[in-house]
Amino acid sequence: MATFSVHVTIENKPGISDPEGDTILNDLVLKGTHKNISKIKTAKMLKFTIQEKDKKTAEKKIQEICDELRIYNPMVSKVTIDVFE
Amino acid sequence: MSLEPQELEDLKSKIGREPTSTELQIVAAEWSEHCSYKSSKKHLKMLPMTGPLVISEKGYDSGVLDVGDGYVITAHIESHNHPSAVEPYGGAATGVGGVIRDILSAGTRPIAIFDGLRFGDIEKDQQARWLFKNAVTGIADYGNCLGIPTIGGEVEFDECYSNYALVDVAAIGFGKKENLIKNHANKGDLVVLMGGSTGRDGIGGSQFASDSLESEDRSAVQVPDPFIEKLVIEAILEARNHNLINALKDLGGGGLSCAVSETADTLGIGIEMDVDKVHTKESGMHPDEIMVSESQERMLIVTNKKKLKKLQEICKKFSITCSVIGHVTSGNLMHVKKGAKTFANISTDVVANAHLLDRPSKKPAYLDAIQKEKKLKPITNLSKTLMRLISSPNIASKIWVYSQYDHEVGIRTVVKPGKDASVLRLDNGKFLSAKIDGNPKQCYINPREGAIGCFEEACRNVVCTGAKPIGMLDHLQFGNPEDPEIFWTFLESLKGLTDFAKYFKIPCIGGKVSLYNETPSGPIKPTPLIGVLGLIDKKPLIPQKVLDGDSLIMIGDTKDELGGSEYYEYIHKFIGGNCPKVDFAESKKNMKSVLDLIKKQLLKVCHDCSKGGLAVAASEICMTNQIGCQLSLEKVPGEKLSDDKKLFSESHSRYLAVIDKKNIKKVEETLQKNKVSYKTIGKFTGNKIQFNHGKNTVIDLSVDKAQKAWVSSLGELVTHG
Repeated sequence: MATFSVHVTIENKPGISDPEGDTILNDLVLKGTHKNISKIKTAKMLKFTIQEKDKKTAEKKIQEICDELRIYNPMVSKVTIDVFE
Repeated sequence: MSLEPQELEDLKSKIGREPTSTELQIVAAEWSEHCSYKSSKKHLKMLPMTGPLVISEKGYDSGVLDVGDGYVITAHIESHNHPSAVEPYGGAATGVGGVIRDILSAGTRPIAIFDGLRFGDIEKDQQARWLFKNAVTGIADYGNCLGIPTIGGEVEFDECYSNYALVDVAAIGFGKKENLIKNHANKGDLVVLMGGSTGRDGIGGSQFASDSLESEDRSAVQVPDPFIEKLVIEAILEARNHNLINALKDLGGGGLSCAVSETADTLGIGIEMDVDKVHTKESGMHPDEIMVSESQERMLIVTNKKKLKKLQEICKKFSITCSVIGHVTSGNLMHVKKGAKTFANISTDVVANAHLLDRPSKKPAYLDAIQKEKKLKPITNLSKTLMRLISSPNIASKIWVYSQYDHEVGIRTVVKPGKDASVLRLDNGKFLSAKIDGNPKQCYINPREGAIGCFEEACRNVVCTGAKPIGMLDHLQFGNPEDPEIFWTFLESLKGLTDFAKYFKIPCIGGKVSLYNETPSGPIKPTPLIGVLGLIDKKPLIPQKVLDGDSLIMIGDTKDELGGSEYYEYIHKFIGGNCPKVDFAESKKNMKSVLDLIKKQLLKVCHDCSKGGLAVAASEICMTNQIGCQLSLEKVPGEKLSDDKKLFSESHSRYLAVIDKKNIKKVEETLQKNKVSYKTIGKFTGNKIQFNHGKNTVIDLSVDKAQKAWVSSLGELVTHG
């Protein structure tokens, strides 16, 4: 058994609007001098620490937990899972 | 998104050629059940829609009532069932946004929101809990951000909504009569799209709403942005004040297709527009996508060249985008171009008027058997039964829900949620009372009487505040209308509502029909939802503190009508029996008498008997006032019935009134003069809710214990499962 740190990033699927990201872009960043920014997307990240036998099982287990507990809505959100040792 | 084969033939013969792909998309959106009302429109005409207070103008999305002194109120109801079943937070929130824009499109400021929510059995079903929790948060977040109070509604749970959600939102607007938008347009006027950008979100939503919800067909998700909506509201109202708006329409189901074709058709004009001028969220959108996108927070304005500059200044001030997307032409063509290239050029008369259907109807087979009574297991401990009912999700206090809503912002709310109906103060010194009610359990057993019952209950609720009903909104939610048995239940409910509305001279000022509400396990129960608006000329009845020694009078007869009651369904798990029926003459007499008593200021509290019957209604008065009551069941007016039936029957037209000792005589005089069936059935004292029959105590509950369960059980269920 080893300890893994698993990062789950939840963001709106492409094509679904993101008012928070748009607002940060238009009303904060672009109002300054940072004209080379073209897009900001907000996301939520959960950092899990888990004991598992390997990286793959850790990722699978976390995915299962998120699905089962409805931590995100599969209709709306895109989920990316990154595992670190 | 597609048309039925015969609809495609119909379209081809009407335009005399093959439609283009954009035309097909536009027509499919507009001819969907959701936009065209093709199944229901022929029948909806039976409802009375005129009255001395009703103002009807072409192109309004909301009903308008004259409340005197140069003021009007507007009201509308909408549902967002399919989107909320998929994404409860966004679906419920954008539902609020949509109905608010309907209010805005008449040129009035939205001042209140109501919501009616229905989900599966949250005691057993985790999915239902998840939907419930998120839908409530969605409504709260959206309404609270806009600064519009959510002042009432209702919540109900029933297994027939498993894996589904009914989210109904009603809104009320208020304004000066002279500020109402008089929709008109002349050749050469400009067509402006204002508000949020058009994106790929919510594509095909209205078509989606007209299909049954199957597990993988869940594509339309809309993301709410209340801050843009707030800016849109303020910009529109300012533009209205400067008389910059010739015609106004909100973008809802069907997006630009519906807004443009309906505006053109209502005003008898043509519109030429260029999709390249529409401000979009992403580049490279196809004209078809732009035309049917249901992106939120958008309004269509017809203005003219002279007014445009000022309108643009206002939009700039509120930092919202507005684009001139086209202009008004003579004739009746909806001409959609991209640059110089034509993508659609079609008569709006064809687009906006789908072929109306005459669907077959047939009485459902289940109805004959279901009205039979069943011998039920006798209950020995009725105190326990009452306690279970008080803590049941359908009866428990909905404070967990409405405490999340800002219900006071705008400082108009005189009577707050949690009572029979909420009351708003209007600028002309009058008061407006409003309530929405539904009862699918009774409507399932008897679609006609059930629907009438919802209507009467909403009337009772506003009457309890001292308001005279002046208008109603109906929201008819049923399953797939292609099933003759379902269509029959729709027609029966509609006929019942029509009869009641005509008898009481309450005009229907708006409504919505939502069909194809099917879950994976079948159609929902018939769920008509009725909103009633009442006007109080002088003073509303604001509930006063009940004190030791006050008397409880019951007005109206209790009958053997427990079909669809919480007692039969929640306690005995029995679906069936005698559905409560409203006796129109008795109902009218009782309403009038209660209004008389309130006008004479003889009542301290007035509460109607509905879910859970007399037992629950009386307990609610005790719990909200933290005082006990001694009640005598043998005095309850009406038929001779067993104790449990007297306690839990849900007969209509019944009111409980709390009266100060010194006023009893005057109250009785009024009731006798009006020949109303009534009795003094109880006296407030101590700290126990006690129902007695002669010398026997049938129910004995401590007020504190009952109150704790009543207030906290729903919240605990949601948060801890």
